[in-house]
Amino acid sequence: MTITQTHWFDPLKGPVEGLRDPAVADVASRLPRLLAKAREVAASLIHGVHGRRRAGVGETFWQYRPFAAGEAAQRIDWRRSARGDQLYVREREWEAAQNFFVWIDLSPSMAFKSAAAVDYKIDRAAVLGLALADALVRCGERVGALGASPALCARNIIERLAEILEAQRPDSRLRNIPPSAALPSRAKLVLISDFLCDVEALEARLQDYAALGAHGALLMVLDPAEEAFPFAGETLFRDPDGGTPFHAGEAASLQRAYALRLDEHREAMRAAAKKAGFLFLQHHTDRPAAEAALALLMGLEEASWG
Amino acid sequence: MGLSFAAPLALLGLLALPAIYWLLRVTPPAPREIVFPPVRLLRDLAPQERTRSKTPLALLLLRLALAGAAALAMAGPVWNWAAPLQGSGPLLLILDDGWAAAPEWDARVEAAQELLDEASRVNAPAALLLASQGATPPVIGVEAREALRAARPKPWLPARASAASQVASFAKEHRGARLVWIADGLEQGGGEDFANTLEEAKGQGAQVDILMSARATLALQGPKNDARALEATALHSGESDGGVLEALDAKGRAIAHARFSFAGADRAKARFELPVELRNEVSQLRIANENSAGAVALLDARARVRRVAIVAGAGDPTQPLLSPRYYLEKALAPFTQLIKIDSRDADPALAALADRPNVLALADANVAPGEAFDAVSRFVEEGGVLLRFAGSRLANEPDELLPVRLRRNTRVLGGAMSWETPKHLGAFEEQSPFFGLAAPAEVTVSRQILAEPDPGLNDKTWARLADGTPLVTFEKRGQGTIVLFHVGADAVWSNLPISGLFVEMLQRLVLLAGESAAEPARAAVDSGALAPLRTLDGFGALGTPPAAAKPIGADFKGPPDAEHPPGYYGPAGAETALQPVGANEELRALDFSALRLATHGLVAARSALDLRPLLLTLIFVGLIVDWLALMFLSGRLRPAQGAALSLLCALALAHGAPAARAEPRSTDLSQREREAALRTRLAYVLTGDALIDETSRAGLQALSRVLDRRTSFSPGEPIGLDLSRDQLALYPLLYWPISAAAAQPDSKTKARVAAYMKQGGLIVFDTRDALTARANAQPTPEALWLRDCAKGLDIPELEVAPRDHVITKTFYLIDGFVGRYANGDTYVEALPKDDDAGGAPRPVRATDNVSPVVVTSNDLASAWAEDKDGRPMRPLTPGGARQREMALRGGVNLVMYTLTGNYKSDQVHVRDLLQRLGQ
Repeated sequence: MTITQTHWFDPLKGPVEGLRDPAVADVASRLPRLLAKAREVAASLIHGVHGRRRAGVGETFWQYRPFAAGEAAQRIDWRRSARGDQLYVREREWEAAQNFFVWIDLSPSMAFKSAAAVDYKIDRAAVLGLALADALVRCGERVGALGASPALCARNIIERLAEILEAQRPDSRLRNIPPSAALPSRAKLVLISDFLCDVEALEARLQDYAALGAHGALLMVLDPAEEAFPFAGETLFRDPDGGTPFHAGEAASLQRAYALRLDEHREAMRAAAKKAGFLFLQHHTDRPAAEAALALLMGLEEASWG
Repeated sequence: MGLSFAAPLALLGLLALPAIYWLLRVTPPAPREIVFPPVRLLRDLAPQERTRSKTPLALLLLRLALAGAAALAMAGPVWNWAAPLQGSGPLLLILDDGWAAAPEWDARVEAAQELLDEASRVNAPAALLLASQGATPPVIGVEAREALRAARPKPWLPARASAASQVASFAKEHRGARLVWIADGLEQGGGEDFANTLEEAKGQGAQVDILMSARATLALQGPKNDARALEATALHSGESDGGVLEALDAKGRAIAHARFSFAGADRAKARFELPVELRNEVSQLRIANENSAGAVALLDARARVRRVAIVAGAGDPTQPLLSPRYYLEKALAPFTQLIKIDSRDADPALAALADRPNVLALADANVAPGEAFDAVSRFVEEGGVLLRFAGSRLANEPDELLPVRLRRNTRVLGGAMSWETPKHLGAFEEQSPFFGLAAPAEVTVSRQILAEPDPGLNDKTWARLADGTPLVTFEKRGQGTIVLFHVGADAVWSNLPISGLFVEMLQRLVLLAGESAAEPARAAVDSGALAPLRTLDGFGALGTPPAAAKPIGADFKGPPDAEHPPGYYGPAGAETALQPVGANEELRALDFSALRLATHGLVAARSALDLRPLLLTLIFVGLIVDWLALMFLSGRLRPAQGAALSLLCALALAHGAPAARAEPRSTDLSQREREAALRTRLAYVLTGDALIDETSRAGLQALSRVLDRRTSFSPGEPIGLDLSRDQLALYPLLYWPISAAAAQPDSKTKARVAAYMKQGGLIVFDTRDALTARANAQPTPEALWLRDCAKGLDIPELEVAPRDHVITKTFYLIDGFVGRYANGDTYVEALPKDDDAGGAPRPVRATDNVSPVVVTSNDLASAWAEDKDGRPMRPLTPGGARQREMALRGGVNLVMYTLTGNYKSDQVHVRDLLQRLGQ
């Protein structure tokens, strides 16, 4: 299938004249839908996620175990031990609340959708980020926006994060690599973007995070058109980030070269992520959002406890 | 014929085409633009083999064609340019405007118009000279155009002598003048001399062109309504095979057609062999499709109804079957006008002559000597026909007014005292006016009076018995004839008077009086001259005489001219016709072969078709196509949009083509129709002309108000209908004003309308042309439109609404339907003939159904129409509040007729019915 038209709006400017449906560019009209979607995705995630099922630092009772010699006597649960001859130690569930930080790429290149896709990339990224945050919070973790807020543990984390993202300054929204930020130790990062940025810059930033002890996952959100390059005919490709347009000539002849180049870029990203101890996942906007959210969640768990 | 250019230099623009071709090749259409985030990745790709993109060939050709068309359009291409008539000298246009120019008058005026236009294009002075106005100098410039517009063909053939002198002086005054003569092709009126004048002018350096139509000119002369047939002679100049002659009655309705064929000769006779009653109806003959005064022959009183006075010597009024008067009246009444004689105190013959009959029938009556004898003698001398029948009185004392000397006694055949048997009639001889009639065997003569066998008796005999005895004898005296039947006009002597032969013989005898019975006219001569009554115009239509028309003397024989246009003169009822073409005239075609003058067809003058608008339209369409293609190529247009857009353009171009109409939904009724079904209302047909539609609406509204006020019917608001879409069955009456500009309804619509009429609907067609329509002139555009429209409508036979039609009595008692005009006729479905003639005359007649059609030309709605303050919207002709009121009454009657049908026709009989019940 050949695509002759793609949709794009400038996310910094809001509604744009000439767009077929001006409402898509209006945050006010988009946000409620995004939030609802995010909640829906989060709800589907919760079903698969439960407590850590292991003893640890926590408040809920986990198990009594026989007192081992050499342990500190204050750990003995006297109430339980009084019922019998043995001494028991009361163990609580392991509840190490972790600090998660979500970064969603809001740069203009994300506000793109082709005819083959369901959602704008930016919308999909926001849904995924918010849903993940909600799921994590329900699991007892703390989640914050990378570089914009501390990690929070709030029931209405979706709204909170959305407000924080919405209130970001334009210059920070313009960046297409995650910002450098002061992170607590062992912070987990969830970076959602199309990662059509410089590999070197991103790699350096990931190394910075690694140096701070943080690691996490990268989710590359791509439009199917960006994957398949379904264009033909005399075409002028315009850069949403404002770079010089690219006059391709006959677009169909570029298809192979582009596919190779995209693979190369992706592998470079994957390598950079691996090097810094990050997971690298990818997602296409023609696929369901829940799929990516679950993969991300499971991936994070695997990386932490596998 | 051919293509030529007003500005050929602009064609040099075509030389630029190769340059345009090159430019177009190197400027391809803009690429389609696509926003694509991974442009960064693309930029890293190895540089492509960037073949230079080219404009697609089809687009290239299209653009070249556009450029070429633009260059052509600038050159002002004209198809069929009148090249030979171009010139820059001062133009003098001579337009023949006799009746011979009438058949193609429009083409002539158009040719003249083109020539004037052409002259103004090249900035040359132009003048116009009408042949009939040769005495005045040619009109120049703008006035020439106005004069041309105002010009109408004259019903006579103007003499060109004075025009020739004008032409000569024009040629002398203007060096290098262009003289163009739009000739009618007849030599009459000095055509040859005129051509010579032109040739002289040509010798002096003028450019001379002659425009002539290739069409033959036909004329009609010498109409004669003789004993056997009505005939006229057709003449022609130019190539013509023949044609069709129409006989029209006084109202312009065609009675009969007759073909005539020249077959190489220069004249042909056309005959109408019709019953004499029909022939008497004929008031003019015309050659079909030849709209000129010359192709019309007028029949006047002399050629028409004969007035007959009967004087019977004996007769007992109580025993009519024994009176000869009875048989004569029965035989003559069908085809003559019988004069009732009031002879209580005077001599019956004198009293009869006082009413100026054409024929005086004396049945067994003598003419008293003295005053009566002198009067009858004078009557015969002046052209009357004296018809005498024998009888016992005549046999006893014959007088001088007899064709032959009579024997004193009668011959009795087959009586009780005779051996002889009643005699049969012999065959009629060729010189007898009765020739051709069959003598039936059952006609016998048992008694007759005998003529003295004087020399010459044979020549005075028109009919004989089988044994050769004269039965009908005649004698010419002066201009008249005396005819004697040697038997009586009653059935006593012979059964001839009760045979059909008697009627036929009388018919032929009465027609003898035709040519010489202008007594009333003669009376007018005594007082002076005959005033013009109705005259022909150039196209051959009768109308009121022009202001310049003067009375003619009785002996005026023509030829007609400006002061004596052809037409009827004298008092109405006894008019004398002045024929457009005299009885001895010939049509001589102009012959230029001897002269060195260029002649062209009329069409040559028309600079026919300017191709520029066509080219500009093409360019416009091409540009749209090009734009669409560009939009599509650069991806800003999806195919569906493109199709919709081009469809829109096509619709816009085919202007006037109505937007797609929704099919009428047959099952469910609209709100409007539901209301119409709940409350009866008047409806009118939307013509598309806003003025007419508004008038119809206002008219029907006013009529509805009147109906509401005066009758028990209170209609709803009138409604305008689109015949092709709206449900018609809900409206009892449909007012349909005819607009010639409206499109004819298609066959489907016609079927709907026909079904509506069949189901009992009534349509009032209003051609609104009573002011312009003439009985025997060209039908008006509205009439033609209606005629076309009526073809598919299955309209019954129509007649002018008779006085006793129920439609004149349904609410008001009215005489007719007046509207904005009062002179148009109103037609309704023809009633069956009143067959019970014997019974008491019925006060009113009606059919069982309502007439499905009422056709009027009086513009009813305009007379009804009032504005919202109740003031009339349109002036009336002739005008007055009474006319408006009568128009409304007519409308009320129409509506009542529609709603009540023939109910009122029973109502008027109520008195009789009640009387009968009482018995």
